[in-house]
Amino acid sequence: MPVTGATAGGVPVAELVRAVARTVPWRALAAGGGLGLLIAAVPRLTGGDAGGWPALTALRAGALAFALGAAFWLDDPARHTTAVVPARRALRHGLRLALLAPVAALWWTAALLLVPRPLRPPAAGVTVEAATALALALTGAAFAVHRREAARPGQAVAGFLLVTAVLAPLLCPEDWALFVTPEDESWAVAHDRWTVLLGALLLAGALCLTEPARRYGRRGLRSPSGTSGPSRG
Amino acid sequence: MTATTTAPPSPAVTTHGPRASWTAVFALAAFEGRRLLCRVPVLVAFAVYLVWTVWRTHGAYDGHPALQDVDRATQGPPVLVGLAVLLGVHQAVLRSRRYDTDRHLSVLVVQPWRRTAAHLLSVVPVALLVAVCVGAQFAWQALKPTAVGHGSPAELLVGPLSVLLFGAFGVLLGRLLPVPLAAPLLIVSLLLFSVFASGPPGAAGWSRWLVPSVGENSFATLPSDLIGRPAAWHALYLAGLALSVALAALLFSGGARLWSVRAGAAAAVALTLVGAVGQSRGVPEETAEARVRATVAPEKTQRCVARDATVYCAFPEWEPRTGEWAAVVDDVRSLAGGGAEKRPLTVRQRIEARHGLDGDAALAASPRPGEVTVGTSWGGNRTPEFAVAVAVVLVTGREEAAGAMCDGRIVTVMWTALAGRPDPVTDLRRVRLDDSATGGAVVLSQTETLQMTAAHTEVLRALLDLPRDEAAARVKGNWAELTAPEVTTRRVAQVLGLGAPEGEDECQ
Repeated sequence: MPVTGATAGGVPVAELVRAVARTVPWRALAAGGGLGLLIAAVPRLTGGDAGGWPALTALRAGALAFALGAAFWLDDPARHTTAVVPARRALRHGLRLALLAPVAALWWTAALLLVPRPLRPPAAGVTVEAATALALALTGAAFAVHRREAARPGQAVAGFLLVTAVLAPLLCPEDWALFVTPEDESWAVAHDRWTVLLGALLLAGALCLTEPARRYGRRGLRSPSGTSGPSRG
Repeated sequence: MTATTTAPPSPAVTTHGPRASWTAVFALAAFEGRRLLCRVPVLVAFAVYLVWTVWRTHGAYDGHPALQDVDRATQGPPVLVGLAVLLGVHQAVLRSRRYDTDRHLSVLVVQPWRRTAAHLLSVVPVALLVAVCVGAQFAWQALKPTAVGHGSPAELLVGPLSVLLFGAFGVLLGRLLPVPLAAPLLIVSLLLFSVFASGPPGAAGWSRWLVPSVGENSFATLPSDLIGRPAAWHALYLAGLALSVALAALLFSGGARLWSVRAGAAAAVALTLVGAVGQSRGVPEETAEARVRATVAPEKTQRCVARDATVYCAFPEWEPRTGEWAAVVDDVRSLAGGGAEKRPLTVRQRIEARHGLDGDAALAASPRPGEVTVGTSWGGNRTPEFAVAVAVVLVTGREEAAGAMCDGRIVTVMWTALAGRPDPVTDLRRVRLDDSATGGAVVLSQTETLQMTAAHTEVLRALLDLPRDEAAARVKGNWAELTAPEVTTRRVAQVLGLGAPEGEDECQ
């Protein structure tokens, strides 16, 4: 087969990009992103008389909606059939993430711009929060793929992300506050904590990108079609 | 051989058809109910709900609950379980689609609308479990011997009904939007909506009651007949809404051909509308009148009991509490001298109920001589605050005098109020606004505040450090001089045989 464009370890990356771009769940991301933009626009739509806190909450909820959409990003119904191809999982996931990154950046810029300027929280801090939510979604998905060989971990990861997002503000200890307002003097300290969280999540996500050296769980071969179990007789 | 082949087919199969399929529905509902209870989000939500409720209820109301407040406190946390149920039931509805088993199920006798009915029924066990938790939370407070007032069953129903409502929404969503992302996005939208909807408090009276759990702005405790919340209408509205959503889910999954489902849906919508109209009519005229009467002329609804030289007048629901008030009054009296210990007093329960629970309003001090105000809550900081109010009236004769008093009498007032308490210095911190035990501070009470200067505090602390009997002897022996208007703090210290205070002695 004639190979065009860049290759990585003999794998035709350019052609892989096209294939990956066709298979990633754009619709889930569009649904989450669309609702996220709508949510972020709520302070503007309600006439801007809402204070800084509702605007910040709307931005956080918008970022969560986008992250929920992105939780489906590593869903690949054909994962079990591509386990044997020469392109490593790190490369396949990396391509998916590379496709997501510009979209996420564009989307987040739009969401930030939708919040009226006087109500807009400090961009750097709130961007770290949004990036942490996105990293949690993707790391969760990568972990589910790494650990359970899940073909479509999106639904479970979205549930996990939602439960975490609802409970974190309720259960966060006061001396490790994360959900603060810009007027609060602990905004800077809280965002150091967010950065630590983001770093830890990215590290965990990077570790989960690889294929496991050995399969966890039950010993022996398993196949989704159930035909390759050890013969019994 | 012919006899066996021409035997008529058993009619049992056809006559038992409908009943058998309902049996299948219940079997499916039991299976889905079990699965739903074991979903991770539902388990986590239940764990958080239980821990949160136990933690909040443990030290709530300072050990003296009023049941008309306890019933409302059961409403908020079940929403968390409701959201988890929405997520879980939505995923359960999509399961057959997710594993592509719809085609296998469609050959069975259980039609899609019956499967939807089974999913709807699977929410019932969770709602029952929440009802048990709500009942246990209420019973925990109601069984305390210090509990007063009456709970409302309609307020207690709100928690379980909101779980049913969220569950029905999950099933409907699964039928309308069969994508896994729909439920999480709906929940995010609902949470955000609740943030924005709760923004302007008290605005648009009727729309406030459309959400499942309706909070109040005020933490004041009112007699249960003055609360004026349309609790029964709201429970009816929630039940109607949950039923409407459930029947809509049936309609959208092929139940529209059945006249019973259509009639049921129409009836449920009518029920919702009746509830919505009923709950939006505002506070009834007679409740508003009763609120004014209870605020302006509480003696018309109160009953009074006399004990020794004190008359205790309480709203009917608080009559069991007069014994605890009497214990505090007797303690304070026993430390007063110069005839003040026999001064006739009226302890009257007073409230500001004209605004209902819309907002907190300050209560003016009683202008009548010898009348002490007591509020509707008790225990914690309220007890020493009441002791201070009793001491003010014993020393000055009127509650109103507290605000203007800024002289050495404050030492006597505070000592008489606190010296009989088990731990006077801790109680001193509790009644002071800044929780301090040195320097000047504002002393809180149900009505007027007192101003303590640094000098007052210094003399009071020195007096509290003395053995109680010795201090009591000194106070009682010099009562007339200690309680003379305009007596200076320096003079009080001198009379009591204590060192002259060094702190500043000016009220702000």
